[in-house]
Order: sequence, then structure tokens, then C-alpha cells
Amino acid sequence: MKTRIAGGRVIDPANGRDEIGDIWISDGRIIEAPPPGTTPDASYDAAGKIVMAGAIDIHSHIAGWNVNTARLLLPEFHRAAAARPAATPLSNAGWSTFATGCLYAQMGFTTVVEPAVSPHYALHAHLELADIPIIDKATLAVLGNDDFLLGLMRERDSGSAVEDYVAWTLDATRSLGVKVVNAGGSLALKANVRQFAFDDVVPHYGVSSREIVKTLQRATHALGVPHPLHVHCNNLGMAGSDASALTTIAAAEGLPLHLAHLQFYGYGKEGARGFSSAAPRLAEAVNAAKSVTIDVGQVMFGQTVTISLDTLRQFNSRGHARPRKWVLLEGDANGAGIVPYDYRASDFYNAVQWAAGLELFLLIDDPWRVFFTTDHPNGAPFTTYPDIFALLMDRDLRAQQIAALPPDAMAVTTLPAITREYTLTEIATMTRAAPARLLGLTDRGHLGAGAIGDVAVYADERDRAKMFRAAALVFKDGELVVREGAVTGYRWGRALTVRPARDRAIDQRMTRYYEDRYGLSDAFLKVPDRAIGRPEPFELVRCAR
Amino acid sequence: MARAWIGGKPAALERALTEAAGLLAVARCPLIAGLGTDIAGARAAIRLAEQTGGVIDHMNSDTLLRDLAVLREAGMMMTTPNEARLRADTLLLVGPSLEKDASDPSRWLGLDSSGKGDAVEKRSLARLCPGGAVTIPGEAVVNCGVDRLPVVLAALRARLRGRRVATTGVPAKTIDDVATLLKAARFGVAMWSAADLDAPAIEMLCGIVADLNAETRFTGIALPPANNAIGVLQACGWMTGFPMRTGFGRGHPEHDPWLHDGARMMATGEADCVVWISAYGAAAPRWPDGTPVIALTAGEAVPAAGPAVQIEVGRPGLDHDGVEHCPMLGTLLAVAATQPSETTSVADAIGGILAAMPGTQVPA
Repeated sequence: MKTRIAGGRVIDPANGRDEIGDIWISDGRIIEAPPPGTTPDASYDAAGKIVMAGAIDIHSHIAGWNVNTARLLLPEFHRAAAARPAATPLSNAGWSTFATGCLYAQMGFTTVVEPAVSPHYALHAHLELADIPIIDKATLAVLGNDDFLLGLMRERDSGSAVEDYVAWTLDATRSLGVKVVNAGGSLALKANVRQFAFDDVVPHYGVSSREIVKTLQRATHALGVPHPLHVHCNNLGMAGSDASALTTIAAAEGLPLHLAHLQFYGYGKEGARGFSSAAPRLAEAVNAAKSVTIDVGQVMFGQTVTISLDTLRQFNSRGHARPRKWVLLEGDANGAGIVPYDYRASDFYNAVQWAAGLELFLLIDDPWRVFFTTDHPNGAPFTTYPDIFALLMDRDLRAQQIAALPPDAMAVTTLPAITREYTLTEIATMTRAAPARLLGLTDRGHLGAGAIGDVAVYADERDRAKMFRAAALVFKDGELVVREGAVTGYRWGRALTVRPARDRAIDQRMTRYYEDRYGLSDAFLKVPDRAIGRPEPFELVRCAR
Repeated sequence: MARAWIGGKPAALERALTEAAGLLAVARCPLIAGLGTDIAGARAAIRLAEQTGGVIDHMNSDTLLRDLAVLREAGMMMTTPNEARLRADTLLLVGPSLEKDASDPSRWLGLDSSGKGDAVEKRSLARLCPGGAVTIPGEAVVNCGVDRLPVVLAALRARLRGRRVATTGVPAKTIDDVATLLKAARFGVAMWSAADLDAPAIEMLCGIVADLNAETRFTGIALPPANNAIGVLQACGWMTGFPMRTGFGRGHPEHDPWLHDGARMMATGEADCVVWISAYGAAAPRWPDGTPVIALTAGEAVPAAGPAVQIEVGRPGLDHDGVEHCPMLGTLLAVAATQPSETTSVADAIGGILAAMPGTQVPA
């Protein structure tokens, strides 16, 4: 079965391509253009349209206990709107896994990473991911507030036990990478510590947040896991949190390190209210630190809910819940906090946050190192992505929106003076080529021969938000899944995983640990294929080692 | 060997599935009730409800929704029994139901301190309206009737805030002793069962927990209802956005705890076909006359009045592998069959019914 997408403007920065041309797909993979005269089994006219690889979202909270608890906390925010569309059951629920897959696919996204899975909740997360149609998925396993790791560090275990433990966790939880969320902060909160910084020490364990981050960074790197350690820094959201981010960036020390939702650390203490955008300082630091990558976590105005494994941060922000209800789970290791929030355009602080995110996008000069996120749903729902693309590509649109925001807020940012506009190639880099490279996915994010047949075709509209909101055509594994912005039917994707090599002695050690500590087999946090209930639910990504 | 009955007479499984599909196809308001099943069974049941424009409810929804009402009206702080066992230096146990059946807190929480983590030096215990005779030296106990718990909780919250309280029927010093003990906690955990408390009382208790966090650390555990209610809740949440008592009568999921109360729908005759699912052995309610029942039951859980169709299903973790909520860990757990059998699972039975229905749109 050969499919041709004919005559579109093919924008494929991974292969240095920007030209009018065809894309051919056969058996789910992109192939070299066959000899002239070859007749495709199906041909789609893309003349006048933009053709890109399927987009990849590296950080979006789409599944797991935390997301599901947010659904249950806020039934009033996601009533279903329409009667059921015949082709796609349950996609009309206001906030279901089925709706999530459809909404992503409609925008041309084909791979999404759920970045915050506590190991004990991995099976739950994968069950939810398995019910997200069309797209492929992956999870990051969260370590760094867990008793076993900090116990190893307390004992100053010098061998490869940490690496083996990280490898064991990735395998057991079927994850693609490792994340650390406010390293040590959740454990500190359990000991009634209410402020916790990079060089503070976790009570009882005697190790600092810095040591946890460095330990996990080195282990991830040594194991050859493609995705570098994914760091959620300390002191998120506070005035002066730029210091936390700058300290963490400096601590990368030349090894790969990814900082998540940097916008939430982009706050200085300048100005009459002691709150200002520090995004220019952070952008400068990122530009200089070549081993560091970041995603933005853009804020957009409107009601949302913050979902985080940073229990310390969520505990401290409980008084800001809008509406006034919140959930804090102090589970094993990180736990989770869910605090609804309404970002208001009339609010000084929210307006500074909005501007700081855009400044990061526009002041970090390398689109290969800045990633497109809203930290869904923490800064805004992922459905706002098209509006953000438009803002990045159009300084006049930004000026219009800036004019409607509190002038004193804009005065403590540099956004009004920034003239840069993203090109389509930069958008394609940031949302396709760069995420694939960051995650080690060699057959995604590009349109070269051998790549998975994930392709998005957009009408080349002046209104970029409209263009990116509803793709003209989307192919997943070579199969047409979206036409004119509407999902044509379900198919079921896979979760991407890594399995770095480990000394199997760790397996017996983990069995003993779980029997001693939990009185249970360590089998409970393992995610077996058969539990997922779909054929071939996982796809293995190669590690460098 | 799968066993099935039509009108009380043994029948081949295929025929029973077809008969069930026929009953559902002509039903105008089917009710998928009981829902005592694993995650795969719950997912299938929700698909069936969407396909037939029916309603889903769970046999333990009453207690589940009491806790959920507090969660979604006021929010909640929570932990897992295991984390409490390892970390809590203070426990507040509320109500007699905690000490019944499988919910024995002495096992869950290690009341004898045997399971506590090495960061906890000693453990204090307070109990309000206890149900068991086990006592621990130094524990603070308020003996009262279950019906007095709302008043006692209100008085305790007031005393923790330094307010005076009027008569509660309980000696003031007893309340103050509990308050003193709670304030001395470094990491305290309150545990309750919604079987003993109404939603306002649960909200009061959660308010006590939240208040204590002004100075120290405190959190809570709601005893999970039986029959995998929390597991089914999770699947229902991610598939529809809502808890159980959700209906698809208008083509999209609508949650309404009163309208979609299965017991009410049966009592009023609103449900014109009932699928009763009970794979953990819980007994069926008494059915109203005249409503066709399709019973998917395990072991002895046979409906009192004869169902139109009955299919014996396996028990998750016994007859077949499954995924269910593990109360101790507060998370979903894969369980392997300990006595694998040929008995059909709830998921497979519903899959068979769906396959026998015309025009099925199955998202899997």
C-alpha cells in the first residue's frame, strides 16, 4: 500500500528540507520517492499546504492518578458539549482520555510524553495512556523523593547501585526517561519543612537537593538513556525563583540536563510589587549553557488546574486555589498536588507570567534547545497551542494583546520591545525535529525515508492559530486519522520505553526492599504487557549503552 | 467451563450472550449496576453503557460519593495506608467501621508500631467512637454513638482553634485530650470510613486535618469501599470524566448522583433492563418484578429473583489475571490468577454481548 501526499511545501528541518514536493508512505513508513510513473494506492493533494512530520509534545500531563483526580475534583469544568460522534466513542466527554487523543491528533500531534509518573502509579498511568486513541505516548518516571534512592545516597553507596536502580525503575515502570520533581522537597514537606532550596538538606536522609539532581543526572547519562534527566527545579512560582533555575543550570556542568517549564522560574523581585520577569536573565544563561535544554510552560489566560508532583509547591499555593478547593496526596515518594487556578489577563502577576514565557521563546536563540509546552494543564490546556504558535509568529498580534494587559506588568518585562517572529521552519524544529532528538527517537520528528509515517498537513493560512488548530490531513503510521480537522476513526498507539542494561543483582535487592518495607512483592509496581489490554502496547527505544 | 442460564435453565454461553444482547437492544433505559469488577470489566461496562445509552452505577456508590462530595466541594488531604504505617507518629481513627472486616487498621497501619519507619520514634493514637476492644497505652478515646460523631468532630475542631464549645454529650476534657494529642503530632494521619459519617461530617474532619497543617503536618485516609469501587472510579474518571452514576441517555456522559442512582432507578421502574455485575461475590439486591435482569456473577452471588440471563464470571486474581485497586498502596495493581479457570471474565462476557449487538462501535 503506497500513499502519496502530493505537491505540498515540505518543511523538514531535520533533513534540511524546505521545498515543494511529495511525501510517500508505504507500510506505515516514509519511503524514498519511487520512480516517476509509479501509481500510488492513495493520493492526497497538498498543493498550497504545509507538510510537516507529526508533532511531538515532550511535557504534557495527560494521564495518571493526578490527572484523573483533577477530573474528579472539577466536574463543573468539563461537561460534555455535543452528542456522540458516531465514529469515535467517548471522544465527546469533556475531559476523557478519548477526547485527549482526538484533540491532539486534530492539531497534528502524534507523540505525547506524560512527564510525571510516580513509579507506584505507573500501571494506572499506562492504563489511561492505552485509552488515549491515535497518538503514541511515553512516560517519565519520577525519582528523587523516594526512600530507596535517598537511602542509597545516605549510605554513600559508591558502586553502580544507583544506576542499576534507575535502570530497574525504567524497566519496571515502562518509562522513556527519568524526571526529578523538586528533588527532596516532598520528603522535606513530610518533615514539616516549608521552604526548600537547591543546597538545602533533606531531613533524616542528610542529602541535599543538589546531590539528588547530580546523582540522577549522572546515572541517566551513564545508562545511555537518550533523554537527559528532566528537572523540575525547587521554588517553582515564587518571586526570586530565577535564582533556583540559574543555580540548576550552572549545576549541569556540561552534561545534558533538561529543565522543565522554565517560565515558572522566570520571576525576579524587581519593580514596585517585587515581582518582575527574569526571563531575559534565564534566556541568557540557557544560550550560554549548551548542554542544557528547556521547555517553556507558557501561561495563557483562562481557567485551568495545576497538577504537580511538587507537593511542597502545591501545599504552599493552596491558599490561591480558584475555585477554593484542592487536593494534596502525600503518597509514597512524591505524592501529588492538584490546585485549580484561573489566570486572569487583568491580574498583574498572571500578565507577567504570560510575558515571561513568550520572552523565553523569543530570547533563547536556538530552537533546537527550547521546547514547546504549556506544562498542560498547569500554564494552560494544550488546546491553546495554536494560539501560542500565532503569538510567536506575529509581533503585531503580540502588540495587540500586550495593549490589553496591565501596563505596570508589561513594564517589568522586555516583551514589548522584542520583534522576533518564528518562521515555520523554527516551529517545525521546536515541535518536531528537536523533540525527537531530545527523546532519542530517530524515526520520528522528520520526513526522511525510514521515518514512521506520522505526517501533518496544514492549510497555509494567514491566521496561524486557525491553521494549527485543525490540520487538513494527519497520518499516523501512514494511516489517515484526521481530515479537515476532524478525526476519522480510532487506532491505538504505543507507549515508548527504554530498557538500559543493569546488573540483575538489583532485582533481588528490590524484591527484598519491597518485602521488608511494604510486606509485598515488588511485582506490584511492574507494568506487565498483559495488564494493558491491548496488543503490543509498548515500543522499545534504543539506549546508547 | 463457562456456565450460563436463560430463564433459570442451563444454556450455552453463546446463546446467553445473544439473549442478553437482544434484551439490551430493545431496552430504552438500561442500567449497568453492581460493577464489582476489575479494570477490564469496568472499561467494558462503560463501553456497554455508552453503546446502549444506559447508566452506570456501582453497588458501593453511596459511601464512595460521600467522600467524593467532600473532595469536589472542599478538597482533601490524603495519604496511603502504607505511607501512614511507615511515617505517622499520630493516628486519629474515626468511627467503628474501621475495625470491621478486611479494613482492620491494626493490620493496615501497624498500630502496635511494628511496621513504622525508622524516622518515627513513637506513635500516639486517638480514637473517636471506636469499634474494637484493642487498646494501646496512652491512647485518647472518645466513646460516643456514631450519631454523635458530627458533634464531636465539630467540638474537636473548635477546641483545636481555641474556641469554647457548648455541651456535646462528651466530657470536655476528653475532647481536649484528643486535641492536645493531635497538636503534638509531627506527621499525623486521620482515617475514617464514609460508612460512619455523612458528607458534612467528613468535611469537618478534613477541615481538622487542614487546620492542623497551619503548624504541623497532618493528612487523611478515607477507607476505600469494597468491590474495587476505587478502581472502577478511576476507569470511569478517565473514560468519561466523571464518577459512577453517569448516564449516556443523551449520547454523552452526564453525571448526576440522584438521577443515576441505580437503586432509585430500579425502585421507580425507570430502568427497563438491568445488567448486574458482581465478580467479587457480593450479594445482589432484591430486584423489582418485571424488569429483565442480566446477571454476571461469580460464585454464590446469585440474584434473589431469577434473572432473565445469568452468566457465571471469574473472580479477578483468582480465576483470571486482572487489575484492581490495592487499598494498602492506594494504587492500581496487576493481580495474577491463583486458581486459573475457564470461567469467562466480566470483560469477555460484555465483549461477547457487544459483539452480538447490531451496529456496535467499540473503541477497542
